[in-house]
Amino acid sequence: MHPATDPPAPARLREPANRVSPRAPLLWGLNAAGPLVGVLVVLLFGEQAGWFTLPAWLWPAYALLALGYVLGMPLVRYRVHRWESTASAVYTQTGWLARERRIAPMSRVQTVDFDQSALGRLLGLATVTVTTASAAGPLQLAALQVDVALRLVDELTRRAEADQGDAT
Amino acid sequence: MPPDEPMTSTVLVRAHEWRRLDPLMLLVHPVNELVRFLPLVIATVVFGSSGDDRGPWQWQWIGVAIPIALGVGRFLTTRFRITTEQVELRRGLFARSVLRAPLDRVRTVEVTSSPIHRLLGLAKVAIGTGSAARAGDERLELDGLALRHARELRTALLHRAGTTDVPGAAGAVTRRPDTGRVLLRFDPRWLRYAPLTSSGIVIAAAVAAGVGQLVDAAGDRLTRWSLPDLAQLALWIAVPLGLVLAVALFSVFAVLGYLITNGGFRLSVDPSGRTFHVTRGLVTTRETTLERDRIRGVEVHEPLGLRLGGAARLSAAVTGLDRRTGGTSPLAPPAPYDVVIGVGTEILDGSPALVVPLRHHGPRALRRRYLRAASGLGLPLLVAAAITLQDRSWAWTLLPTTLLLVVAEPLARDRYRRLGHALDARHLVVSSGTFSSRRQVLAREGIIGWNIRQSWFQRRGGLCDLVATTSAGRQACTAHDVPEPVAVALASAAVPGLLGQFRG
Repeated sequence: MHPATDPPAPARLREPANRVSPRAPLLWGLNAAGPLVGVLVVLLFGEQAGWFTLPAWLWPAYALLALGYVLGMPLVRYRVHRWESTASAVYTQTGWLARERRIAPMSRVQTVDFDQSALGRLLGLATVTVTTASAAGPLQLAALQVDVALRLVDELTRRAEADQGDAT
Repeated sequence: MPPDEPMTSTVLVRAHEWRRLDPLMLLVHPVNELVRFLPLVIATVVFGSSGDDRGPWQWQWIGVAIPIALGVGRFLTTRFRITTEQVELRRGLFARSVLRAPLDRVRTVEVTSSPIHRLLGLAKVAIGTGSAARAGDERLELDGLALRHARELRTALLHRAGTTDVPGAAGAVTRRPDTGRVLLRFDPRWLRYAPLTSSGIVIAAAVAAGVGQLVDAAGDRLTRWSLPDLAQLALWIAVPLGLVLAVALFSVFAVLGYLITNGGFRLSVDPSGRTFHVTRGLVTTRETTLERDRIRGVEVHEPLGLRLGGAARLSAAVTGLDRRTGGTSPLAPPAPYDVVIGVGTEILDGSPALVVPLRHHGPRALRRRYLRAASGLGLPLLVAAAITLQDRSWAWTLLPTTLLLVVAEPLARDRYRRLGHALDARHLVVSSGTFSSRRQVLAREGIIGWNIRQSWFQRRGGLCDLVATTSAGRQACTAHDVPEPVAVALASAAVPGLLGQFRG
């Protein structure tokens, strides 16, 4: 076995250093609310039009679950989502119930994408996607403040260029 | 390209000019188009226009003429050229597309000949570049060239793409691919493994769909023949009889399918040792050339049937293969396990990664196997119990569903036994699965990142899925349900200097 250059440190990874923008929960909440409101409208409309009749308890149950999701999920997500970029690697943590950490060495970074949804532009948030040559490995840093995201894109592009091999 | 390099090829002599494909393609394209329109054509010729009262003849000729016109049009509008830097392919008259691939990005070249191609001495050349990250990437296909030119083009492309020159490699360039040392040659006895694969069912489904399409196209003109009325037989005869017939049919299809795709299989290695050549196919021949430098690992696949029969498949994970083929290239069709391991070990330069004992994932992973087997196999019992509560006449369903539960224990145990990982000086090894058991070996320098996934349940159990991402093969190698500290230690040891900064 190769002599690992890592120091024999505690056997767990720490969380990435940076949180995403504090406005991120608002973005996630609004995004989650959209389809839920859509379903509600269809249900209401269907009931009015007489396509089907729904039990009365459905409405409060739906409202409770939907509200719980729209308010709860973004807050949990905000506590989970973190990112970090060092000279030699990018490190992200995402998810809320299921969680995922992704680590890509800078030398394997192929593209750095910056994009903003319409809602993201209103809130001044952007997503940075770091891809490698593997289809299994894009790292998404969602809901960053625009200036943070732009600075990050510059920095990553510079570092990846400085460390460019074949990257496959 | 230096002028003193061996260039016997007419393709390369006129390398910088725009060239058309081989004119014999004028025959192939129309025939191909005809085949694609075959159900329609058969329907028009044999049955007229689906029983309509319109005169059948003009419709029939339009059905034939359109494909031929398309074929000729495609030939006239397709051009390619090879410059010192890149391969370019231009297509289309109105919607024009130009595909370019830098020569130093050419990773694989595949030469395929369908029966029509073979009849005319032609071949299709597919050039693979390493653009795995971009989805919807069109691939560079020259369909087709004379077989001789296709092979010359292949050696030239791969030779130019090669960065380091191995002594003696220049001599190998002009040789035909079948001059190397043969590692594996098709053995007709392997056909006995074919019925153990699921391919028979797949082929049967495809045939059924094809027949269905024909029947649809034929419309009501086709008189339905009637099978002996199975409904009149007693259930206890009809069901076993049907099963036996189905198994026999699937087996025949499987053997035929195996023979057609893998007949004449030959895996050989170039005298220089730099490239592997795979030739296979009884009807359509397919020659794939894999550069050793592009092979990131191998995978031994043992679906349950093959495993019980003592057989396995072998494939290579290669960068730059087309995404549709999953970036894997078969190195051995279903063949005896020992043969497969022997070939795989040779591909891996003698590394014992395919037989090295696995490190298992501990009691929590074992408990998870039990839980999952019990919940998955217990579900039918629950459903049966619920139905029986409603209606006592369904009580008989309790027996088979309870028996199903008995399988859970050995299933969980086997799944645990198959679950594991290993790390040696050059390779990461992961293994998992019972019904579709795989052992993947990935070169450590082929790892281009790590994903550590945890579902809610895994988090509570302190387990995680450790995914090594790669640009080759399935794009990822996953070690399932690894205890967290083991996963971090494994990832740090496999790619030194990456995870250390995030420990803490």
